[in-house]
Amino acid sequence: MAEISANGVRFHVQRLGPPEPAAGAPTVVFVHGLVMDNLSSFYYTLAGPAVDAGATVILYDQRGHGRSERTPARYAVDDGVADLCALLDTLGVTEPVYLVGNSYGGIVAARMAVATPDRVAGLVLIEASCAGPGAAAWFEDMANTLTAAALGLEYDRVQDRLHGTGQRKVARLATQANALLNGTSLIDDLGAERPLEMAELAMIDCPVLGVYGECSELADAADDLRRHIRDCRVEILPGLAHTVLREATGTLQDIFTGWLALRKTAG
Amino acid sequence: MSDVLDEVVRILTEVVGEDFLLDVEITPDTTFSDDLALESIELVALAEKLQDRYGGRVNFVSFIGGMDIDDIMAITVGQLVGYVETQTTGPR
Repeated sequence: MAEISANGVRFHVQRLGPPEPAAGAPTVVFVHGLVMDNLSSFYYTLAGPAVDAGATVILYDQRGHGRSERTPARYAVDDGVADLCALLDTLGVTEPVYLVGNSYGGIVAARMAVATPDRVAGLVLIEASCAGPGAAAWFEDMANTLTAAALGLEYDRVQDRLHGTGQRKVARLATQANALLNGTSLIDDLGAERPLEMAELAMIDCPVLGVYGECSELADAADDLRRHIRDCRVEILPGLAHTVLREATGTLQDIFTGWLALRKTAG
Repeated sequence: MSDVLDEVVRILTEVVGEDFLLDVEITPDTTFSDDLALESIELVALAEKLQDRYGGRVNFVSFIGGMDIDDIMAITVGQLVGYVETQTTGPR
């Protein structure tokens, strides 16, 4: 189960939940963020509560991340959507799924809801800026930040100096980040990215839950959701910035499972 | 050393590689994060292999239910072995 080939890429996948799901039970797919992130951030936070709520849960490492294959190219958001669709095809998931995306994962999830609305039953966007000038600025900032990180990794060779036992984890993370940032097209693809237009955001017809930190630089994205999405609930978590998944896990679990239960009732 | 502890150590070598573990003595008090420097994604892989080995009753997501990330990262080998033993020896 752990390794699945889809769209020409080998993906690390974890499928959790009852072997025989109840009729009408939701399928929830978690989509993690960029570079230092992988499926474990959702595995340790929202996956368990989703399983407890009766959902079938699918977690996967996006290409180049975690234990999935690091291809040299094709790191655009549309590639991420194609990867996810192919993965669901390979897993035999034909029913519409709930997509839960954190940061960049939310951008992939929202793009999939626009591109293939029949496959998406609902969206949870955690700290994701998906459309308009805010999203364009996020892509530019991220490409610049990662370019600086890539130069640092290439010239400082931190990963080569950290091979003692206690530093294994940091060394491995630095090695992986270096390979992804300096060995693939990820930064170029991010720099060339085109965000959704507001009119495209408004095409999202499924229920959407947006969760943002009060002090986040992406607060405008919450307003965009409120303005343009018909069936939308937005939660702003006080005192937090971009790291709501890690810093407010309990609150987020309650908000998410409550929202998911309402979908079940509505369905 | 219990059979389950032996098995956890064997599976660990599959996940992180034998060379690395040669330098570390693994006891029930050994922590996955600080002592073994296991990445969080490697702990997920370890959990899956344990479930493959011992069956669906060994359910890591259920085991970590109610823990926050800091608790999870502080899990010891002994805690995990104890959980597996409870799940595999209790009434079915």
